[in-house]
Amino acid sequence: MKGRKTKPDDLKASIEAVEQVPGYTDEKTGRKTPGELEFVVRMTNDSDRTLHYISDVRATRYDPNTKTLVVALSDEGRELVPGAMMKLPVFRRIDPGATAEIRPRIPDRIVKLSRNAPPNEVAFETHQLSEAENVVVEIAWADVPYYKDTRAKDDKRLPAARWEQHKARSTRPFKSRA
Amino acid sequence: MALFILQDAAGIGSEEIDTLQAFVDLVIIANDDGVGIDDPADGKQLVTYTRTLDGEPQVRLDELVNTTFEPDYGDGPVNVDTIIVPALIGFTLEDGSDVRHNGKALPPASSGLPGAGQNTTENCLALYDTQQNICLARDGTDGEITLPISNPVLLYHELSHAFRIVRNELLDLTFECDPASPEENAAIIDENDMRTQIAERQGVTAELRDPNNHCGSVGCDSGCCIIATVASKSLTSPQVQFLRSVRDHFVRSTEVGYAFFQQFFYDYYSFSPQVCTIMLGNPHVSERLLEGYINPLLDFWNIMIERSGGNFNDAELGASFVRRHEDRAAAAARLEALQRTVAYWLQQESDADAPAELIELLRERAWPSEYIQWALINPVRIYNNVLTLFLEGADETAIGSMFNSELDAWTPEFPISDFWAALSSEEVVKELEFCENVLLQSATSRKRFHQRLLDRFTDITAIDFALNGLTANTGVVQ
Repeated sequence: MKGRKTKPDDLKASIEAVEQVPGYTDEKTGRKTPGELEFVVRMTNDSDRTLHYISDVRATRYDPNTKTLVVALSDEGRELVPGAMMKLPVFRRIDPGATAEIRPRIPDRIVKLSRNAPPNEVAFETHQLSEAENVVVEIAWADVPYYKDTRAKDDKRLPAARWEQHKARSTRPFKSRA
Repeated sequence: MALFILQDAAGIGSEEIDTLQAFVDLVIIANDDGVGIDDPADGKQLVTYTRTLDGEPQVRLDELVNTTFEPDYGDGPVNVDTIIVPALIGFTLEDGSDVRHNGKALPPASSGLPGAGQNTTENCLALYDTQQNICLARDGTDGEITLPISNPVLLYHELSHAFRIVRNELLDLTFECDPASPEENAAIIDENDMRTQIAERQGVTAELRDPNNHCGSVGCDSGCCIIATVASKSLTSPQVQFLRSVRDHFVRSTEVGYAFFQQFFYDYYSFSPQVCTIMLGNPHVSERLLEGYINPLLDFWNIMIERSGGNFNDAELGASFVRRHEDRAAAAARLEALQRTVAYWLQQESDADAPAELIELLRERAWPSEYIQWALINPVRIYNNVLTLFLEGADETAIGSMFNSELDAWTPEFPISDFWAALSSEEVVKELEFCENVLLQSATSRKRFHQRLLDRFTDITAIDFALNGLTANTGVVQ
């Protein structure tokens, strides 16, 4: 946008630690709480204006070939699917020159439909995320707050994906701290 | 063949799939005993159904189970079955979206319909999390996200999508949740049929979802609430409505308040459903809790709301308390009820009349939680002390003085969550202003709370900046 001074690296993110949160089963209710990975993410805003970012995990992607885990606090690349409810992201803001810390969590394993199964067979592939060698956290942000876009449009992206201007990325070797 | 429940599959174990829960949910949808499942074959179980009722859910289920669907998505008619996939912790779609606390209906991979790219099979997959905690827009509330959903209702929502997918009649989907798209509007209308059916069976008024709003969130106070059960066995009783109002507009309206309730609900619902079960078998527990706990708690928070409108001096706070207890005989009866309850609820001791399992449950789950202590136990302890003083004949000023003193000790112990560290300095200031208006009305309590924040977040600049700014302006923190 003309006159916009914000730079793509104005919001910086750093993964300070990855904590393993053990799962457990409530013996009384039988309810299972899966094990989780918690990412301690520090952010700094180097710009002279408040920046706005998504603070909850929107997608988790794992590539078993490269052993790279991507934790996306962004709606980019997510598809529209019929379902029970649409959950908007949780938006937060960070002051000019300030630091902030968030602690997003994801399950410590993901289960996906397998693309290598025979036709018409429901099969899955399971990935233990503790096997990852690298982890990337992506945080979508913009220099304006999220507002509902009321224009008529033929844009096949979720609303927050249209809003985001940049992503703050942090990569580090994966070494969880039990 | 048309409807199956996944029982086992390559890549996971059978214990990963909650087939039994899906079957139970189908029985609730059918509302009779006409539903059955065949023995497992190829990792799934065929659903059978002989319909005896004529409600919308039964007719819909009948069609899904007993029709062979051959939709033409563009390449000629193809047979499409629907497979229910229950539970499966950690299930993630191809695009990385987590299905936890949600349900999804995936059209066949080659159908070209929205969501088909996430499916690897030529079946329609109805996925739902059987351990969900979803909150949705309540009908008639202008979008308040306060309505929980039960598993059979969630499954029925996904089967509504599946019904139109296998008939190739999927309606338009949009990228907004408010207003809901035509497809989601139709699924919510169907969902409300199920809500109505379940409510009629339970003999209560149906709580419906807004068909024009598809937005939702994770975390809803679903499950059995002790307060609702004791007060009137209804989620819509005046007592429950009042507490909901306290929660949503008095505390939960702020970011920190919201974060507080996220943890509070987590702790509360770790024991509340079991307490409800215990009360079912011990009706006297419920009777005791109403006057010996619930009503005092309501009175306490009523006074706190009144106090938040202005900084009460001792005489004003005392007058507020006395005004609520003009009937001294009723006040004495309440104190007696309180003291009967106090043994196991407040003093955390065993009591001859309280079931041992209740004491064990509270000892294990309720009392160790600083959130439960702060919000549910200490307020009633304070109320008990003030009521005792009132019945001993103290005047309004003395009552108010003691009450203010107790509040000054209690309010700054408001549990501090990690969430403070994610706030901007402006947000920290705003949250502190709210806390000071409604809770931390004395310099002593403010000082104590600020110090707790500083001790907890030694290197968070926003908090440091906000508190140093406050220090400069008010001199509260030295």
